[in-house]
Amino acid sequence: MSRHVMIVGVLWVFFTALALAGAAAMNPFPTVGAEEAEFSDHAFRIMTFMGAPVFGFVIAALVYNIARFRSSGQPSEDGPPFKGGGMIPRAWLGVTTALAVVVMIYPGLTGLAEMRSDRSYDLEVNVTGYRWSWSAQYPDGEFTSNEIVLPKDQRVRFNVTAPAGDVLHSFWVPAFRLKIDAVPGQTNYLWITPTELGDGANDAAFRVQCAELCGLNHAGMRMNVRVVEPDEFEAWVAEKAGN
Amino acid sequence: MAIILGFVLAVVGFTLGTGVLGGIRVSMGLEYWSTDLSWTIGYPFALLGWLAGVGGWKYWATEWFGGTAAQTPKGVKRYFEWNMDHKVIGVQYGVTFVALLLLSGLAAMGIRYELMQPGMQLFTQDQYNAVMSFHGIGMVAVAVAIMLGAFGNYVVPIMIGAHDMAFPRVNALSYWLVPPVAIMLVIAVIMGGWDTGWTAYPPLSVLNKSGQVLFNLAVITFGLVSILGGINFIVTIVYERAPGMTWGRLPIFVWGAFAGSLIAFFFTQGFAAGLIMILLDRVANTSFFHAAEGGSPILYEHVFWFYSHPAVYVMVLPAFGAVLEVLSHMSRKPLYAYKWVVGAMLGIVALSGVVWAHHMFTSGMEDYLHAPFLVLTEMISIPTGIIFLAAIGTIWAGRLWMRTPMLFALAFIFNFTVGGLTGIYLADVPTDIHLHDTYFVVAHFHYTIMGGEIFALFAALYYWFPKMTGREFNETLGKIHFWLMFIGFQLVFIPMFQVGVKGMNRRVADYPDAYADFNRFISISGFVLGSSFIFFTANMILSWVKGRRAAANPWHATTLEWQVSSPPPEHNFEGTPVIESGPYEYGVPGAPKHAHIGPASAEHA
Amino acid sequence: MAATATLPHGREVDSSHAARRVRINRLGLWLFLASDGALFALFAASRFYIAGTAISPHLNQLLGLGITSLLLLSSFTAYRAETAFTHGNTSHGRMMLLATVLMGLMFFGGVVYEWSIAEFSPSEAYGTAFFSMTGMHAFHVVTGVFFLLLMWARSGDGKFTGGTNAWPIAAAVIYWHFVDVVWVFFYPTLYLLK
Ligand code: HEA
Ligand code: HEA
Ligand code: CUA
Ligand SMILES: [Cu+2]
Repeated sequence: MSRHVMIVGVLWVFFTALALAGAAAMNPFPTVGAEEAEFSDHAFRIMTFMGAPVFGFVIAALVYNIARFRSSGQPSEDGPPFKGGGMIPRAWLGVTTALAVVVMIYPGLTGLAEMRSDRSYDLEVNVTGYRWSWSAQYPDGEFTSNEIVLPKDQRVRFNVTAPAGDVLHSFWVPAFRLKIDAVPGQTNYLWITPTELGDGANDAAFRVQCAELCGLNHAGMRMNVRVVEPDEFEAWVAEKAGN
Repeated sequence: MAIILGFVLAVVGFTLGTGVLGGIRVSMGLEYWSTDLSWTIGYPFALLGWLAGVGGWKYWATEWFGGTAAQTPKGVKRYFEWNMDHKVIGVQYGVTFVALLLLSGLAAMGIRYELMQPGMQLFTQDQYNAVMSFHGIGMVAVAVAIMLGAFGNYVVPIMIGAHDMAFPRVNALSYWLVPPVAIMLVIAVIMGGWDTGWTAYPPLSVLNKSGQVLFNLAVITFGLVSILGGINFIVTIVYERAPGMTWGRLPIFVWGAFAGSLIAFFFTQGFAAGLIMILLDRVANTSFFHAAEGGSPILYEHVFWFYSHPAVYVMVLPAFGAVLEVLSHMSRKPLYAYKWVVGAMLGIVALSGVVWAHHMFTSGMEDYLHAPFLVLTEMISIPTGIIFLAAIGTIWAGRLWMRTPMLFALAFIFNFTVGGLTGIYLADVPTDIHLHDTYFVVAHFHYTIMGGEIFALFAALYYWFPKMTGREFNETLGKIHFWLMFIGFQLVFIPMFQVGVKGMNRRVADYPDAYADFNRFISISGFVLGSSFIFFTANMILSWVKGRRAAANPWHATTLEWQVSSPPPEHNFEGTPVIESGPYEYGVPGAPKHAHIGPASAEHA
Repeated sequence: MAATATLPHGREVDSSHAARRVRINRLGLWLFLASDGALFALFAASRFYIAGTAISPHLNQLLGLGITSLLLLSSFTAYRAETAFTHGNTSHGRMMLLATVLMGLMFFGGVVYEWSIAEFSPSEAYGTAFFSMTGMHAFHVVTGVFFLLLMWARSGDGKFTGGTNAWPIAAAVIYWHFVDVVWVFFYPTLYLLK
């Protein structure tokens, strides 16, 4: 018995490492374009670190038992009659509960609190979703634009809505890792501090993509996003406000 | 014959209903036909006509009005009309839903073909939305109903030593409500489809084409199927157990069916309520979802997910039951931590009703709801974890007989671990805000529904195939099906996690070029996955028609359904079964046999 | 176990089997009502979501109170009908059934009248709640009336008399009570808030 446990233990370490290596090799994330993106990716990685051993354990036990105890013909005898009383289920319950509580608190609740912690902003952009296009209105310059241009390192608040009589849309920029639905008759807010220069023309992560099914051209309901240096932004605003 | 009569009466009913409506409308100076309203009014009449035609009148309702019900026929014919034998109904459900599975799977092949490269190839955007929506709802219907409908009906009564379900006529009724659901969905697609996915979010679902109305009517009907089925299982399991079949001796599949039914009978109303509100907004000018009048689309999301989250456990609880059942018998070991599993299932039932808003983290719902729903959602992994403990404990040091059902059951453990753990990323608000509505979600739920439930379905299907058909299936074809499906499945859905995180959202007919490589790979793997179903279909047809006669107990399993012939006799048992010990006493020294079938009692002689 | 009872028209019934059947049916009915209750509850909850606790000043409060009292009273006659049938008093039971049906129809008439004079439209938030909730409830009233009438029509030959034979009557009556209880929640929700 204890030999089985030991081998599974070794396999556990192996599969955990494999899962972690696989996750690391994939680098799944798109361009990190904002503080919020780093934060989200961090939470993602934490969960991968915690999930990998759970995955590793289940797979180790599965693979070992299949490899060691399989029989291609009909088995001629019964297995050992473990009924699963005693300590093992209790220990399992304890460990999984502890794990679940940890995940809830970190990165869950702490992350949620952090996300909400800073609601100041330097710049506002009103975003409206129509079937099937976006419009961005810059209240400071009193103009609307069909692309979103943002100054690097300044905090922006997006006021996202859809006109009454339209349908649900969702405002999402993959590089920022945040999205919020555009709900007719309701304004929802999103706070972002862009930290990387970027242009949707050469990086799909810098696009506003509608992320709520809204009918015919949902897929094409996109808008370009550009993050530029602050002075360039000023110039752009001046030019836009001018005409 | 009965089916043709059903169709005819359905058309008659529809004509009648729409005719009366049209008459009233014309007399009010309106046009005779109004697609939305005419379907809404005509459909219930069509449904009644259909039910009457397929046998509901002849074998049941006539009694209410003083007539005498006819005797249902025997032989092959009975599969094609109203029948009250739970075994016939189980087969009817099984065949119908496997057909729907293949049809919806074919739609998925269309999806994958379209997404193989950027730009539009096979479909227009509108057609894409229709096909995607059909795939979604078709598969959800299959997933919700096939486990309980086919195997719940066929084996649960036998497993607990009953002669039939508690309400055989209601059982027949709920089956015969299924074909209209499928037919309506297909008509809806032919009429141009609906473009709101399987979730039907308003305001779009209030404003779009009339296909939406057919979708709503179909799904409301499907809700009724689910509710009636759920009630039937609960009552059957409460009252129809054989002497000695205590709650602590129920086979675990019965517990899974019981737990799933508890959810189905209570929560299904949520979907119906939401869809009724949409219908009312469309045809009765109400303002549930018109923002300008005080209505709110977010109301729908609450009502809808109030059902549709619990629904995923309607899918997966019977699947847990079936998998643990197969693991225990095919490992020749007692089910590990039986009582804990039962507790976990009931715990999942309890928690399932309080986590729905985890689908709404980006919806703009009230901020204070985020934290509680995050916490409650992640709590569900605790009881679910117990199921994994039981699965591992059961195969541990067992005698694992690697036949097709066992392969699928073991694959379930693998797939569901991936699906469950990725659910945690989605339950976590900071990550879900990015992941919501991306292919990460698509991958998550294919890993849970398909990798979980559908794999469990195949475990159950191969496991009980000999019992239900009296034939053996072809093991080689079964293994080919398994390996193609298992490997294909991983290759399709693992990359979806990545392309989702990278920024590809779901429900799109087209995508930026940046995701082209991934999608080509996914689509090609998708066709491999699809091809596995050819082997499955061939195996089923060939084996059923000319497979070898199956023995009563080919797996040498202990539970009651294996103690009777394959297929079982008309009333399941020649005598009264008496239960003397738990269902999984493998290798337990001195344990009495689970059950023996006693002499016929007076009551059922 | 095999106690047998002979019915007036000579059919023999295993009463223990019949009693078991009634238990089974009763649980089925209660589960159905619980499920149906969930539907009503969802609509009631939606009312608060879209219209808060506002009510329309145009409601005819007197009419509302009147039909509510009528429905409550009909639950009493329904109860009398059930008791009468279980105790073998068919003719009294049938009369009480009819009385219940009558009050049910009057309630329904009241709702229809309220609809016809309502000065608010279904497209307002409150109107949405009012029309959908009363409409759904009225639909249940009508089905309840249908079942009660069916029972009345079929009970003429005394086959629902006594003990377990009265189950069909009991079922229709339980359903009627349910419809009544729903209204006990709907009435304050629609008429009395704010
Ligand atoms: C059978 C179906 C099924 C099942 C069982 C699940 C199970 C779970 N699901 Fe999933 N889900 C779906 C089907 C399913 N889901 C579908 C169809 C959608 C999309 C709907 C749509 O939008 O169209 C969806 C979407 C979905 C979302 C919304 C995503 C979004 O749109 O933004 C979320 C968010 O919380 C979520 C979470 C979970 C969680 C936490 C579980 C948990 O129950 C999982 C629990 C299991 C485990 C965790 C693994 C095993 C446990 C252990 C080995 C113990 C140790 C582990 C820990 C302590 C962590 N799911
Ligand atoms: C039981 C549930 C279930 C199952 C089994 C599947 C099975 C599959 N699903 Fe899907 N899927 C859903 C439930 C399910 N799905 C749901 C609920 C949605 C969400 C819809 C929405 O957003 O509203 C969805 C959405 C969905 C999408 C996202 C669409 C979008 O967002 O735009 C994709 C994309 O690839 C996809 C792919 C697949 C594939 C390739 C399979 C394959 O496994 C299918 C393989 C099966 C077959 C192919 C069977 C038939 C085969 C034959 C008859 C032989 C012929 C073979 C060939 C032609 C090769 N599914
Ligand atoms: Cu707008 Cu999707
Ligand atoms: Cu959910």
